[in-house]
Amino acid sequence: MMRFLLAAGALVLAGNTAFGASAINKDTEPRTLIVTEGGSKTELALAAGETVEFCANGCFVTMPNGDREALTGSETIEISGGVARIK
Amino acid sequence: MLFVAAGWPDAALAQAVTPANGTTGGVVAEQRQTIERLAAQLDTIEKEIEAGGEDEEGLVENRAELETIGKSLLGSGVAFRPRLTEINSRIEQLGPPPAEGQPAEPELVAKERQALTTEKAEINVLLGNAEDLSVRVHGLINTISTLRRELFTTMLTKRYRLGDAFSGEVGGAVQHEFGALYKSISSWLRFVVQFKYNAVLTATFLALLAAAALQFGGKRLFRRLFYRDAEDEDPSYLSRLSVAFWSTLLPSIAVSVFLNATIGLYNYFNVLRGDIGVLLNGVGVVIFIAFFVNRLSHAVFSPDMPAWRLLPIEPRPGRLLVWLMTIMALVVGFDYLMGVISETLSSPLSVTILKSLVAAITVGLLLVLIGTVRPFADEEGAPRPWPPTLRFLFYFLGAVTIISALLGYVSFAQFVSRQIVITGAILATAYIGFLSSRAIAEEGSFANTAVGRRLQERYGTDETMFDQLGLAASVLINILIVAVLLPLVLFQWGFQPGDIATWLDKLATGFKIGSFSFSPFAIVTGLIVFAIGYFLTRWFQGWLDGSVMARGKVDTGVRNSIRTVVGYAGLAIAALIGISAAGIDLSNFALIAGGLSLGIGFGLQNVVSNFVSGLILLAERPFKAGDWIVAGAVSGTVKKISVRATEIETFQRQTVILPNSELINSAVGNWTHRNKLGRIEVKVGVAYGSDVRRVHEILLEIARNHPLVLKNPEPFVLFANFGPAALEFEIRAFLADINNGSGVQNDIRFAIIDAFEGAGIPIPSTPRFIEPPPEPKWPADDEKAEAQHYEAEQAKARQAAEARPRRRSKRPDPE
Repeated sequence: MMRFLLAAGALVLAGNTAFGASAINKDTEPRTLIVTEGGSKTELALAAGETVEFCANGCFVTMPNGDREALTGSETIEISGGVARIK
Repeated sequence: MLFVAAGWPDAALAQAVTPANGTTGGVVAEQRQTIERLAAQLDTIEKEIEAGGEDEEGLVENRAELETIGKSLLGSGVAFRPRLTEINSRIEQLGPPPAEGQPAEPELVAKERQALTTEKAEINVLLGNAEDLSVRVHGLINTISTLRRELFTTMLTKRYRLGDAFSGEVGGAVQHEFGALYKSISSWLRFVVQFKYNAVLTATFLALLAAAALQFGGKRLFRRLFYRDAEDEDPSYLSRLSVAFWSTLLPSIAVSVFLNATIGLYNYFNVLRGDIGVLLNGVGVVIFIAFFVNRLSHAVFSPDMPAWRLLPIEPRPGRLLVWLMTIMALVVGFDYLMGVISETLSSPLSVTILKSLVAAITVGLLLVLIGTVRPFADEEGAPRPWPPTLRFLFYFLGAVTIISALLGYVSFAQFVSRQIVITGAILATAYIGFLSSRAIAEEGSFANTAVGRRLQERYGTDETMFDQLGLAASVLINILIVAVLLPLVLFQWGFQPGDIATWLDKLATGFKIGSFSFSPFAIVTGLIVFAIGYFLTRWFQGWLDGSVMARGKVDTGVRNSIRTVVGYAGLAIAALIGISAAGIDLSNFALIAGGLSLGIGFGLQNVVSNFVSGLILLAERPFKAGDWIVAGAVSGTVKKISVRATEIETFQRQTVILPNSELINSAVGNWTHRNKLGRIEVKVGVAYGSDVRRVHEILLEIARNHPLVLKNPEPFVLFANFGPAALEFEIRAFLADINNGSGVQNDIRFAIIDAFEGAGIPIPSTPRFIEPPPEPKWPADDEKAEAQHYEAEQAKARQAAEARPRRRSKRPDPE
């Protein structure tokens, strides 16, 4: 029983170690975030309804409507109607 | 009315916005200042890097500063968020500006929207600035890494013209350097004597005090750890190893503490002036290196007490090796000290080259000398050299050092010789440490150490406990070795404390592998929290069971159920708390659980069904631990009800693990469910013609007279059958405890035999057909019999043949 629990625990750990900010696109069309993290700018494309984890150690983000935000890495961004909100 | 409705919210909104404007204008201005300040800092650092790219330590410092700047940039970016949220929600409330052709909105609203949009634009610009700065910061961090790599390679590949070192001016330069050194030391001494006499005395006294405390206190405390018993002819490998390891490590730590205390105290009392402080530091390093290498080689070769040595090296060459290694360490140390002196006195390059050259060649020669030592002895006691690989390694390293120095690669030669001495010493210590940790983890070895013996005397610790303690000790030693010695090795290879601090920081905040972010500290925290929760649960379980429920005279079955349920509940809670302490979002758990449920539906069906059955068993309690149950073919005592399976011990002492679902899905007989009352039956037959009433009376008497047979319900004798060979009777008696059944049955049967014999009542037994003893058949072993038969035939034939000639001789021979 202990071993079973341990195995389940390890599974959960392995599956869950990705923590950072996450972005959810609730729109029906793809949206793009521009993420500046660790000295490089990348475009993060989000398909409709997709959730993406990014930015583990803090980053700057430019939202689809041109707004900029700084993230510490624990936020959730929700995009709906082309407007992003931080929760 | 309409006017009021339209105007009133406006007024309220205007009220709500004005104070916000008052405070948040502050946030923007404040953060603008911060960002500008950070930008200025960044500029300075960039210039520093461009100007002084030669200085390794400076670069490491710059890097640390850059990392702080990057964090502050992010921080000031985050500081805008409350204001941004406010602005966004306000703009949303105001709605979009009226399209063309629609009636114009009130001026107040238009103005406010304008103001908010301007402020937002301003914040966006500032954030953009911060973003650009953070990109620059990371670019600079990368530049620093490249620069440091280049520095290291140029240091190793730089070639000096040795002609410079041997030109005429070198003599003068050396003389000048010594003069300058003498002057600065003597002036410092004068300064000390005139102004800081008391301070120096106090500082020296305090440092000596600390040293004495370490020396004597440490010896008292740790004497057992590194005391070599001269009378012990054959100390165990473990004690030799641990003595070697600790007798190297502890005094070295003591010396380093003493040196640091001295320099620190001098600093504290302002005795040291800039250059002298650096010199004193250098002297400290020399002393420490020489001391450390001396202790280490002493520990390994142990020339004074051959019984305690780690390598089978003879005492004489051992002593020689100790000296050679110490001298090598001294040379390397002095080389370092000279470097420090040259730097503080800014002496010409030729002097630096000359002394590094001398030092490198000396180290090379010493290495070759070590290679020529014949440390071992063969069977006759004649000296034997190192094994060839080791010998050639010494020669090779010595040759590399000497030749590269002579070719002008002095820095490289210096680097190699330094690595050989210091990294070699550190690695040797680490290796001894690892060996001793492995030896201590071996079964039964910890019990034989001094600590183990004392534990045994005081607490009577048993074998398994010792094994676990030994394991724990070995893990601890390993961690200690890595924590102390790894940074030292890293420093040697050009890493700076700043680098290690950065790594630790990364370790604490987590780093990314692919798309996974991984934080070991958080996971360790989670595990520790889980362990604490687990032990708390166990303690609570024990307390509830032992103190509360035992006192409350709660039934064992209930106790067992509650105990198990509490245990699993506690475990689950501890796991949940541990997982959230590890920084894992529990909502992700739901995702995993969703994925798992499919797997559970198919693959883990049995496990889950058993689990649920176990919970039902614990709640319903059809049987409890200690009950005698019959489940299918298994009959025995229940030992333990777990959540997946139940442990049953049969009367043959076989333990059967029965899955709980079987106990739930099929009939289970429980002999001792509500009480232990049970009925036994003893059958007996009497011959036709016996007095059956008398028999009935006797049997009833026997049953009634047995002390364990209950009076109520009273025993009953059944005239069961007119059997083919006998009249069959059956005694049926109830017992208070069915577990005594076999004993009672035995007693009754003996009593029946005795009583029937006394009363002359025969017990018929079916006459059996008695088989006649078998006739000697063809023996089972065919071949043997055949062989015997054949031999017998042969013998007969021979006899016949012997007899025949006599008869035949009477006849004339035809030939």
